[in-house]
Amino acid sequence: MNRYELGIVDTRNIIKTLQDVYNYDFKNYALTFFKRRVEKIIINHNLKDADGFIQKIETNKDFFEIFLHEMCVEDTEMFRDPSLWRVLKEELFPKIIHGAVNFKIWFPEVSSGEELFSTAIILKKLNLLKNVQLIASSISELGIEKTKKGLFDPKKIEVNDPNFKRVFSESELSDFYTHENDTVNWSTSLIENTKFIKQNIIFDDYPKGIKLVLFRNQMIYYNQILQERFIKIIYNSLVPGGHIVIGNHEKIDYWNSDKDYTLINKAESIYKKKLS
Amino acid sequence: MYKAVVIGGSAGSFQVITKILSSLPKNFPLPVLLCLHRLKHVRSGFVEALSIKSTIPIVEPYDKETIKPGKGYLAPSNYHMYVELNKRIALSTEEPVNHSRPSIDLTFETAAQAYRDKLIGIILSGANRDGAYGLKKLKHAGGLAIVQDPNECQVKTMTEASLKLTTVDHIFTTEQIISFLLKLK
Repeated sequence: MNRYELGIVDTRNIIKTLQDVYNYDFKNYALTFFKRRVEKIIINHNLKDADGFIQKIETNKDFFEIFLHEMCVEDTEMFRDPSLWRVLKEELFPKIIHGAVNFKIWFPEVSSGEELFSTAIILKKLNLLKNVQLIASSISELGIEKTKKGLFDPKKIEVNDPNFKRVFSESELSDFYTHENDTVNWSTSLIENTKFIKQNIIFDDYPKGIKLVLFRNQMIYYNQILQERFIKIIYNSLVPGGHIVIGNHEKIDYWNSDKDYTLINKAESIYKKKLS
Repeated sequence: MYKAVVIGGSAGSFQVITKILSSLPKNFPLPVLLCLHRLKHVRSGFVEALSIKSTIPIVEPYDKETIKPGKGYLAPSNYHMYVELNKRIALSTEEPVNHSRPSIDLTFETAAQAYRDKLIGIILSGANRDGAYGLKKLKHAGGLAIVQDPNECQVKTMTEASLKLTTVDHIFTTEQIISFLLKLK
């Protein structure tokens, strides 16, 4: 297995090109992740090296969109961490959504859509989908288009179905998709009222009045500077008393962050924005 | 002179790793990065099992946690564990490598980028080839490559794959690994 390896100078040049040509700032992405991701893109698109990548992306806007899509890490499973989804289903959702109207749930980076569909399925089963407004944003237009179509990789079924069984032992995930030939098609009625937003990378135009944010395992691809910036954006998007769920090995931990958020479930990393 | 130890293992490595961790002095001077294949759905229990025997504290790190000497960092279940150049842990949910997440190759490769020739890498018993490529990268970056003696391994595949790909510095039994680590200052 031989891989192309990017040097530090090459990596900096690529970051500079993306900034200069498209005004997209990737310098606060986690370096190991960014480097590894670009190395993969260079191999997958036969670009040979950093110069090949820079030439292609400078002159080809479509390739820039492909690059953004491939920078978003595809979720490898639905209902990742079933214990979290059980908490959402049995405790949090009934408590905070029951009786609400237009309860806004935001996915700041919806990626390949597994978290969105997992949430929609639980809400549907709880008969709460009608009470919510799902908002899904992504830096990738291509990713959004793919998610809207509800097309999923059939290979994921072998992980998804057992995960779902750990949340709903008496139901079948296949009630929500059709599997024909080589495609799995999610029931798009689950997301017919979902609002999709193409974000630029600085998220200067984010939704407000949000009651719940699901942002698991996305900030791990940022460095601490960008993580803190996102946590502040989310703070401003959330109503007082609103909730945020992050990955179970992520923390909200900046200077004085306990004045802004209360950790209400440590095992599942669920935080609540303080009332004042 | 070394700054970190990275250890990879899979099937048959649990006994070996607990033996190593129970033999280290409390003030072991280096951080120990552990990438061990584990069950995806069993999130808790593993770090506790290792901690019972270990003389140094073992944690499943949070993303961007700073790596400190005298502490063990176990790759959490269903995440890859990388080392950033600024010696912090970075986690990832990118697709499995060698059917593994965490992948030993990725922990070794990123640790080698961060620690260069100040890194000791140890591959233990295991049933697949994950880790072989990572050990090669570690050696290439100037690190010290150690492989558990395949004759002692419960499952030889991982150590043999590593030996095939890299001319290692030492082939050690568990006892020899321990006495080597005890000499580190």
